[in-house]
Amino acid sequence: MLKRTARPAAFRQIAAYSGRNMTDAQHTGSGVPDWKASMAGGQPLNEMFDVDGHPRPECARVAAYLLAMESGRLAELGERARRMFLGRGVTFNVYGNEAGSERIFPFDPVPRIISAATWANLEAGLIQRVQALNAFVGDVYGEGCILKDEVVPRDLIVGSPQFRHAAAGIKPPSGVYVTVAGIDLVRGADGSFYVLEDNLRTPSGVSYVIENRLIMTRLMPELIRALRVRSVEHYAADLTASLREIAPAGVNDPTVALLTPGPYNSAFFEHVFLSQQMGVELVEGRDLVCVDNKLYMKTVYGLRQVHVLYRRVDDDYLDPVVFRPDSLLGVAGLTAVLRAGNASLANAIGTGVADDKAVFAYTPAMIRYYLNEEPILPIVETYLLREPEVRQMVLREIERYVIKPTGASGGYGVVIGPRASGRELAEARQRIERNPGAFVAQPMISLSVHPTLTEESGASPALAPRHVDLRPFVLLGAKPRVLAGGLTRVALREGSLVVNSSQGGGSKDTWVLEG
Amino acid sequence: MLRRIAGDLFWTARYLERAQWRARLADVNYHLLLEVPPRDADPWEPLVQITGEAELFGVNYSRADETSVVSFFTFDRESPSSIRRCIELARSNLSPLRHLISSELWLEVNRLYLDAQSWSAETLARAGMSAFFTDLRDRFYTITGIIQSTMPRDLAYDFIQVGTMIERADSVARLLDVKYHYLLPRIEDLGGPADLRQWTAVLRSASALEAFRKLYGNAIRVDRVVAILLFDPSFPRSARFCAEQMAASLARIAGEGQAVTAPAGLASDHLLEVLRTGSAAEAIADGLHGFLLNVQNESAAIANLVFAQHMSLG
Repeated sequence: MLKRTARPAAFRQIAAYSGRNMTDAQHTGSGVPDWKASMAGGQPLNEMFDVDGHPRPECARVAAYLLAMESGRLAELGERARRMFLGRGVTFNVYGNEAGSERIFPFDPVPRIISAATWANLEAGLIQRVQALNAFVGDVYGEGCILKDEVVPRDLIVGSPQFRHAAAGIKPPSGVYVTVAGIDLVRGADGSFYVLEDNLRTPSGVSYVIENRLIMTRLMPELIRALRVRSVEHYAADLTASLREIAPAGVNDPTVALLTPGPYNSAFFEHVFLSQQMGVELVEGRDLVCVDNKLYMKTVYGLRQVHVLYRRVDDDYLDPVVFRPDSLLGVAGLTAVLRAGNASLANAIGTGVADDKAVFAYTPAMIRYYLNEEPILPIVETYLLREPEVRQMVLREIERYVIKPTGASGGYGVVIGPRASGRELAEARQRIERNPGAFVAQPMISLSVHPTLTEESGASPALAPRHVDLRPFVLLGAKPRVLAGGLTRVALREGSLVVNSSQGGGSKDTWVLEG
Repeated sequence: MLRRIAGDLFWTARYLERAQWRARLADVNYHLLLEVPPRDADPWEPLVQITGEAELFGVNYSRADETSVVSFFTFDRESPSSIRRCIELARSNLSPLRHLISSELWLEVNRLYLDAQSWSAETLARAGMSAFFTDLRDRFYTITGIIQSTMPRDLAYDFIQVGTMIERADSVARLLDVKYHYLLPRIEDLGGPADLRQWTAVLRSASALEAFRKLYGNAIRVDRVVAILLFDPSFPRSARFCAEQMAASLARIAGEGQAVTAPAGLASDHLLEVLRTGSAAEAIADGLHGFLLNVQNESAAIANLVFAQHMSLG
């Protein structure tokens, strides 16, 4: 049973405290007494080898396997993987490409290992976090208790471009707003995982997790079996189960459909993949129609009611009656259907209010407020520059911070202080001073590194450390379900911290070991 | 199955069938003219007539000769039914369904599409017309073969069948109609060598020459050509055969849904009845042109009805 909004008297004190002093709130959130020493100053953690070059205990077997390999064999495995991906059509952004050329998300064959103990802690922390965020979404579109208690500033929420008034009348009986969450984690120099960002709208990447494992099972089957790596293949079944569990009350055998923007969307492969694995219909806006406040899909034999819609379309395009009227990607009247309780949406309208970068700073306070627990997972320190004292502190040493725009900023890019030029820093300073509410600052995290097959021009491929992050996927249905591991993204260029696909990133298989 | 998917499958099939017919027609016409020097009647004109786009042709080309007609027919980007355009449309209808069809089918259609992008007068000249069209014909056979060998006989297959058969029935009627009237010889030529050659060409265009000989021997007569191409129940490109397949597919499509007699099924049953009970002699006596026009119209009507019933999104 999910924890709902709770307001025992004791909370009022904590809430009041958390709201008063911003800097204190940050520190009470993180659980790390002195982040500066442990993260910014330290060398990045190598996840496979310790400072003396010895393999870490959970990586011993894989390290031995790699070291015992003939030279060139690993590169061969990498090439085999690449061909398998191409053959299986695990490509992205190609449907829109008239020439028909296929691109794959680069894959590194060296698996990233997470020990059972580490995972147990992560899993508990992720469940706690997503439950609190879910409660938060329900609260801000419902009673608004956390705002009344001033734990989170009201203007930050109501003024957020992601706040959707249309969500106010919609109350799913299951209490689930965030059915699928992708929580981005980074590992600091101290070895701990920190939450970098929440993705609560239409998080993607899970198809790569499943495909990566499929390929690794062909490349290194004995190793996977010997290490008893926890399986990921049941994700689609878990997702289907979660979706069915959030169906409107009283529906015996709910029909689930996956709404895609269509073949020109860069994540279309994942939409196809998931719909096939889940055994649900893949629909576009034009396949749907709302009649008498019910949602239907247009089949060859007539209208068939849809009870749960897993939508990979942004709020803005979801319903031309309520949101963008020019949208062809959604279906007119969907919001009314949801309000009438005749269909459920995953994820709910307006969850973006909870993954805003400014709201991120308050997530530890949310965990305390709704769950009456201390956060298990620390967040990366996040400073709201709208607070004058905080702003002064950051601007004094702007070159040490990563400046990120919030939803309200209108689209400026991220400025990485330690890497920025004097001019870029001056421009960032100006922007901050002009519109401080539109920015947050975080310390630059030295992401952990992992041995990755690299292609130096001319030389033969060799293993070299590259920065990685982790995106686990959390499902909320009648109960929480967490995919073991998640997507490990790796920045393929030396020194680069950029892990996403469009900018030179790749992925690794993530192995969570059985206890 | 979503209506949109059914529509995409239906149209993919129609465009592939259309492109095939065009390729075969151009090929046969070309060979016909190799055997016989052109007379006063323009031998390439009928091809333009068959597409039903004489007007559009007239806009872009001043005369119907080998160069202009082959260009219009094969790779003209303006012509809505050039072979290249049909292939493009087949591919674009098939593209969103990639994950629902066999990878071989997609790869083959896509390969054909990519090659068609480079077609020009030069590529044709370099390859040689005969080789070009023979190769093209074989590529369509490959695609048909892949469909037949890899597609389970399910709803998707039935929609492809319906699209294919409607297009085929229309095409064979159109072929006969144009040739019959264009070839309407002077009385003195009836049964003469020119006449014979033209009818042989008609049979070749439908890949029916050998089947004809099996049934009738070498005596090519108009009524027999009409018989095999319109009324024969076993020849796969006869209108009758198409109507049988169409009706069977529509019955299977309707069978799984509501127990209502579908308008499209009724219309296709009617066409089937006409082709089952009719004969070449009667059709010629009553006016072949009218009969052929009727087949084309009924095919179009069936297409509209099945589209409205199962595929339209509006």
